[in-house]
Amino acid sequence: MKALGRAAAVAAVGTMLAGCGGGPGGGGGKISDGRLVLAVLNDQSAIYADLSGKNSVEAVKMAVADYKAKYGDKAVTENIDVIAADHQNKPDIANSKAQELYDRQKADTIMDVPTSSAALAVANIAKTKKKVFIDIGAATTALTGANCNKYTFHYGYNTYMLAHGTGSTVTKDGAKNWYVVYPDYAFGQDMNKSFSTAVQGAGGKIVKSDPAPFPNDNFSTFLLKAPGLSPKPQVLGTMQAGGDLVNLVKQYNEYKLRDKGIGLAVGLMFLTDIHSLGADALAGTKFTDPWYWNADQGNRAWADKFLAKTGKRPTFAHAANYSAALQYLDAVQRAGTDKSDDVVKQLEGHKFEDVFAKNATIRAQDHLLLHDVALAQVKPSSEVKEPWDYEKILKTIPADQAFQQPDPACKL
Amino acid sequence: MLRIEGLSAWYGEAQVLREADLEVRKGEIVTLVGRNGAGKTTLLRCVMGLHGRAEGRVSFVDEDVTRLAVHRRARRGLGYVPDDRGVYATLSVEENLTLPPRVGPDPWSLERVYETFPRLKDRRGFPGTKLSGGEQQMLALARVLRMGARLLLCDEPTEGLSPLIVAQIGDILREVKAQGVTVLLIEQNVHFAATVADRHYLLAEGRIVESLDNDEMKAREGELLEHLGI
Amino acid sequence: MLEQAFNGLVGGAFFALLALGLAVIFGMLGVVNFAHGAFYMLGAFGAFVLLDSFGVNFWVALFAVPIVLGVVGVVLERLFIRRLAPLDPLYNFLFTFGLTLILQDLIKSRYGVQSQPYPRPSALSGSLDLGLFTYPTYQVFVLAVSLAVCALVWLALTRTRVGMIVRAATEKPELTRALGIDVGRWVTPVFGFGIALAGLAGVLAAPMRAVNPLMGADLIITVFAVVVIGGLGSIFGSVTAGFAIGLVSALGNLYVPALSQTLVFILMAAVLLWRPAGLFGREEALS
Repeated sequence: MKALGRAAAVAAVGTMLAGCGGGPGGGGGKISDGRLVLAVLNDQSAIYADLSGKNSVEAVKMAVADYKAKYGDKAVTENIDVIAADHQNKPDIANSKAQELYDRQKADTIMDVPTSSAALAVANIAKTKKKVFIDIGAATTALTGANCNKYTFHYGYNTYMLAHGTGSTVTKDGAKNWYVVYPDYAFGQDMNKSFSTAVQGAGGKIVKSDPAPFPNDNFSTFLLKAPGLSPKPQVLGTMQAGGDLVNLVKQYNEYKLRDKGIGLAVGLMFLTDIHSLGADALAGTKFTDPWYWNADQGNRAWADKFLAKTGKRPTFAHAANYSAALQYLDAVQRAGTDKSDDVVKQLEGHKFEDVFAKNATIRAQDHLLLHDVALAQVKPSSEVKEPWDYEKILKTIPADQAFQQPDPACKL
Repeated sequence: MLRIEGLSAWYGEAQVLREADLEVRKGEIVTLVGRNGAGKTTLLRCVMGLHGRAEGRVSFVDEDVTRLAVHRRARRGLGYVPDDRGVYATLSVEENLTLPPRVGPDPWSLERVYETFPRLKDRRGFPGTKLSGGEQQMLALARVLRMGARLLLCDEPTEGLSPLIVAQIGDILREVKAQGVTVLLIEQNVHFAATVADRHYLLAEGRIVESLDNDEMKAREGELLEHLGI
Repeated sequence: MLEQAFNGLVGGAFFALLALGLAVIFGMLGVVNFAHGAFYMLGAFGAFVLLDSFGVNFWVALFAVPIVLGVVGVVLERLFIRRLAPLDPLYNFLFTFGLTLILQDLIKSRYGVQSQPYPRPSALSGSLDLGLFTYPTYQVFVLAVSLAVCALVWLALTRTRVGMIVRAATEKPELTRALGIDVGRWVTPVFGFGIALAGLAGVLAAPMRAVNPLMGADLIITVFAVVVIGGLGSIFGSVTAGFAIGLVSALGNLYVPALSQTLVFILMAAVLLWRPAGLFGREEALS
C-alpha cells in the first residue's frame, strides 16, 4: 500500500510538472514525458543486420500496434514511439548510443543489442541510469550471471541453451566423440566452454577443440585435420556464426567429411544461414532453435504478417523482439506507469504465453526468460515445400530443462 | 635547334630557375656549368617536360614544345640521360636498350651499339643494374643513340667515373657530334667540358649569367673552379 | 602434413591472384587500390547474379565476370583515378576507400548482408586422387587456375614488349615517359586488368566461400599484408608472398591455432624490420 501510495504521488507530481510544460497528450498522465519510447539498438548494417537489424524494428512496431489494438482506450498511453540506432556491434558505440537513447531520446527501454561485449556495456548503462534493458541478440550467460542487474533482462536464448540443446542431444544420439571449432572471441570461447560441459555431461568426449581466426574464410586446415584425430571424432561441432558458418559448411561439404563418418552440429544457426547455404548443404544437421516460424499455425500466422510487412520470413530474433516489446508494454499497462522500478516489478516472475515465448516465465532471481525451445533439423531440399521452409522440429525442450539454473554470482 | 626563353621554375615556394634564356644550335655540344643547386638538372627536366611548376617557352626544331606531353617530346628527338643514369633493374641490358621507340632518322642499330660497347654485348642478358657505374653510363648513352635522338640531354655523365671511362665518354660524344647529333651537357668537370664542348653556359642562382666559348673557358678555368666550389 | 601444405597453397591461390592485381596497379599507377576487396566481392556476386537471375553457369561466369569488371575498372580509371593521379596519392587511396563503402552498401541494400547460395559446378564436385592423398577437385582446380594465370602474367611480363613496358613503367614511370613511351596509354588497361583479376578470384571463391557483401573487406587486409611482405610493387614478390602466406597460415592454424589470427601480421612486422622494402622490393622504391 505504501509503495502504491508513493507511486501515485510520483505520478501526481509528474502530471503537475507535465502540466506546467504545456500539457501532455491524452492519457499520458502516468507516463514520463507523456510518451513511451521503445529503442531498438542493434546492428543495422553489418553481419547481424539480416538476422535481426531493421526488421526487428518492424517487429517491435508490430507489437506496438497489437498492444494498441488489444487495449484500445484503456491503454495507459496512445503515444508510443519506436526508435532505432545502429551500434555496429562495437561496445564503445553501444555505450554512447545507449546513453544518448536513455538521456536525450528519452527511451524507456532499450532492446535487442546483439554482440555480447556490446550487450554488457548497455547493461551497465541501464544499471546506472535505472532504465529497463531487454537483451535479445546477445548470447552470453554473463548478462544473467556475474554481470546481471536489476534493470537488465535476457530474452530468447543463450550459450547454455544452445550448447545443451544440441550438445546433449547429439551426444545421446550416439555421437560420443566431438571435434569443436570455435571463433576466437568472447562468444566462441563461451560456446566452446558450454559445449564441452554439455557433451561431457551427456557422456561424450571432446577429442579436440580449436580456436579459429575471426572472421575467417578458410577452414580447410581444421577440416583436413579432423579425420586424423584420435580417437576419430564422430561429429564436428562448429560454433561459427554468420558468414564464417557459411564458409565452414561449404568447405565441410567440399572435403566430404560426412562421407568420412564425421557429422556436423552447429552451435548457433539462424534461418538466414540455412537460406545462404541452401538446404542440401546442411540437410540432416541438428541444432537448437528458440523459435521457428513454421512450427505451428500460430507462429505461421504471425510470420505471414511479418512477411507482408518486410518481404521476409522472420528469424527467431525478430519474433523475440516482437514478444519482448509486447511483454514490456503489457508490464507498463499493469504497472500503470513507465517508471522503471514498477515495470521491473511487473516483469519479474511473470508467467505468460505469446507467439514467441511458450510456457514462459521471466525468472525473478536473474531476469532470464525461460521458455520452450526446439531441437530442429535441416530438411533436405526435396522436403522443402516453400521459400524459407527449411526446418523440421524434432522435439520440444521444455522451459525448465532448456536453460541453466540461476547463477549464484548474480545479485540483483 | 633548342631554344629556351624566359624559363622559370619552382619547387614549392622556392624558385629555382629565373627567366633563363639559352640556345643550342644544330651539331653543337653545349655544356651547362654551375654549382650544386644552381638549377641545372631542373633546366634539363624542364626541357623534357618533367618538371611540374614551370613558366616560359621551350622550342625544339622551330616548334614550341612547351605544352607537349613528355613522351611526345621524346618522340620529336629528345634523348634524355638522367643524372642517376636511369638504368632499369627489372629489365635486362638488352631490354634497357630496346625499350624506347626509334624516333630519329638515323638511329643506331643494336649491332652498332654492341660494336661500340662490347661490354654491353657480353652482359646483354643481365639485369641492368648488375653493371658497373661506368657500364651503366654507357648503357644510358647507348640507349638514346639507339633511339636515334637528335638532341641528347646528358645530366653529368662523367660524375663519379674513372678518368679512363671519362675519356671514353668524351670520345663517344665527339663521335656522336661528327654524326650531326646535338648535345646539351651538364658538367661539373670544367676540364672535361672544355675538351668536348663548343660553348658553355654558366648558370648561377637560376639565371644564365654568362655564355663562354672554349678559349674563355680555358682562360678562366681557375676562377670558374672557385665559383663552382670545387 | 603434405595435405595441409597443399591446402595452404589453395588458400594462397586467392592471395596470389589478389596481390598480383594490387601489385600491377600499385606499380603502374602508384595507387593503393583499397577497393580491390570490393571487386573480389563483386566477382563472387557477379557469378551469383548470373546464375540466380539468368541461369548462366559457372564456366561462363568465369570468363564473363572478369571481363565485365575489367571494363568497369577501365571506366573508373578514365573517369576518376586519372583525374586524381596528379594530386597527393592519399586522394586516390581515399577515393578507392570510399568506393569500397559505396559498392558494399549497394550490394547490401539489394541483397542484405546474409550470404548468398552458390553451388559447386557439377563437373568439379568430386575428389581427385593425387597419389599421396585425395583432394576435392574444385580446390585443385582453383589452385591450377591461379597458378596458370600467374604463370601467364609472368610470361607476358617477361617475354612481350607490353610486359617490358609495364615493368619499365612500374620501376621508373617518369623516365619511361621521357624515353618516348606513352605510359598513360597503358595505365588504363593495366588498371582494368588488375580489377579483372580480383573479379576472377571472386568467381573462383563463390562455390567455396560465403558470398556476402563483406567477404572482400575481411580478406583485403590480409592481402595488403601479403603485398607489403612481398615488396610493394614487386609483381614476382606479391605472387610468391601470396602462396607463402597461404602456406604459413595453414600450418599456423594447425600448430599454433591461438596465433593464427595475427600470424600474418607478426610476419609482416618481422619482414619490415629485417627488410623495410619487403622480401622482393627494392630499397630505392621507398624513396
